[in-house]
Amino acid sequence: MGAFVGMNNLKSTNKTVATSLTIGGVIIAVMMIFGILMLLAQGGVIDVPDAMFYQFLTIHGTGMIGAAALAAAGVMWYFLNQYVELSRSIFNWFLGLVIIGVILVVIGVFSFEFAGAWTFLYPLPTISASAWGTIGALLYLFGMLILGTGFLLLYMDTGRAIIKKYGSLGKGLGWDVISGKKKEEDAPPKAVVASTMVTIVNTTAILAGAAVLIMNIINVINPSFTFDPMLAKNLTYAFGHIFANAIIYMAVIVVYELLPKYTNRKWVVNRVFLIAWTMSTAFTLVIYTHHMLMDFAMPKWMLIMGQALSYANGLPVLVVTAYGALMIVHKSGIKWDMGSGLAFLSMFGWTVGVVPAIVDATIVVNHVMHNTKWVPGHFHMYMGLGAVVMLFSFMYYLAKVDSTVKESKIDRIALWCYALAMISISVQFLVSGALSTPRRWAIHYPGWMTPAVFGAIAGVFLVIATTIFIIHFVRYMKNRGKLGSDKYEQKTA
Amino acid sequence: MVQTAAWVTSLVFMSLVFIVFGVVAWKSRVKSDYEHIKKKWYKARIFYATTLVTILLVVCIYTLRELPYDLPIYGEAQDPTIVDVEAVQFGWLMSETEFKVGEPVEFHVTSKDVNHGFGIYDEDLTIIAQTQAMPEYTNNVYITFTKPGTYKILCLEYCGTAHHYMVTEITVTE
Repeated sequence: MGAFVGMNNLKSTNKTVATSLTIGGVIIAVMMIFGILMLLAQGGVIDVPDAMFYQFLTIHGTGMIGAAALAAAGVMWYFLNQYVELSRSIFNWFLGLVIIGVILVVIGVFSFEFAGAWTFLYPLPTISASAWGTIGALLYLFGMLILGTGFLLLYMDTGRAIIKKYGSLGKGLGWDVISGKKKEEDAPPKAVVASTMVTIVNTTAILAGAAVLIMNIINVINPSFTFDPMLAKNLTYAFGHIFANAIIYMAVIVVYELLPKYTNRKWVVNRVFLIAWTMSTAFTLVIYTHHMLMDFAMPKWMLIMGQALSYANGLPVLVVTAYGALMIVHKSGIKWDMGSGLAFLSMFGWTVGVVPAIVDATIVVNHVMHNTKWVPGHFHMYMGLGAVVMLFSFMYYLAKVDSTVKESKIDRIALWCYALAMISISVQFLVSGALSTPRRWAIHYPGWMTPAVFGAIAGVFLVIATTIFIIHFVRYMKNRGKLGSDKYEQKTA
Repeated sequence: MVQTAAWVTSLVFMSLVFIVFGVVAWKSRVKSDYEHIKKKWYKARIFYATTLVTILLVVCIYTLRELPYDLPIYGEAQDPTIVDVEAVQFGWLMSETEFKVGEPVEFHVTSKDVNHGFGIYDEDLTIIAQTQAMPEYTNNVYITFTKPGTYKILCLEYCGTAHHYMVTEITVTE
């Protein structure tokens, strides 16, 4: 089952994947700058016009999730392609559509002043109080739709390839092993299990997103066409929550693949592992209602389930993935480098981010924390210290196995700088949340300003560290294919 | 205060995660037999998982006892004051803005245009309750003010480029 396929075109495969990582990485760095500008404005250090602030907010949220998802899809594709036959032409289509989508979104936001936030909560795209017009809203909404179509195309291909090799998506999740029909030794590899999960949840998310985007588009063109705002909100958060969450489930494949190589230990796929991934599949699909705990008109049982299942959703990572990562590293004699160091850091980020997420999913807490800065606090941990770090880990890994570019002391300093900066940013958000500071506010009252300024300063260090990571990867891009293989074992043999 | 409890709880468990990862990283350079580690720590996982599930279950059930959605049980001759709240870009239309300490109040919150958030802040700018203000739907906030003062209503759902100006005040007297 561990046999590698599709190794003939490694060089061009690596180029395709590396392109998605480079675009994703650069956009993430640029989005960080918008983040710093917003924090400086909230901290009273600089004066940003209101409309511009909310344009930054819109592009920051959309850009970060889009870019991280693009790069994470590259990571997933890279590893999944080693077990099933994926279509490179579809990946190129995916890349092309995402780029077109991004261009439309950027034009919509900066040329036509669309500032409806990534949530574009119906009917805000249409009713903007004259802040933006029809063209801006349509450019943004169509941009998102095209971007989503690119991702949908990609997941149709991953789903096709998994079904072709394993028989069904259920078998890709190892249900035949869970049920005892197959032995654990014959379970699908971790990359396949994770990719199957992401294929299922993100296809669902994109369909939900497409539905609400199309309804918004029609409403923008013809405001007399209206629909239920609660349905729209459900669809928006079903899309946004699942899509953002799936980033880490794509990116974590790098941790699964790297740590066993670095520690020379096996990270086996057993029943517990497979059950955990099935749980994650189910929970990720349904727990988006924790974004709607303050929508009292929602059915009460859905909101209670939102809390209970959000608690349960912490278990697969806390008991299986993070625990497995700790076990495999513990007294392993691992040789730390950038790839392994970032992989380990990312598992810390994911795990630690679970804590404030569970706290916020508690209805009585959400009653005083919802839409405060506590929320960006937990997802900056999860995204910035978890998912995005996994992407950087993969970048260093690929550079190591596919080029002669060496890691330097500056890279190692950048790792520590990144970790400390991202922890500082996350904590200042949490502190702000505990102080009741509202999120998505262009200005702050004096008592709320200090953490924002602290976060902005930390953000500068974060951008510096990220730039160093990207420079290393760009150097790899220039020296790519020098080793002619991406198999770590071959290099270290 | 709920915020303090949330912050302290988070800090304790986040520190615990930090310590565990720190210890594992610290000891990672030592080399030991993996079979032995697996045997020991798979056994420990059963205890860890059981403890974690128990804690989560207990906390989940405990915190679900009283929910902000539930209509309070009013005493005899204790009629709540009903306040109609309508959000509109970028202000609040409220049928009443002056209340007494101990007076049960029900804010019936809706919106005329887009989604807004109805957040009640006390004099220290600490949030004490909130709900979403949605077009076509009405959400009820049940509250009995315990302290006199000037409270602020802030919009807590992004509603357009003057979102942060959507602030009004209510007064609570003895």
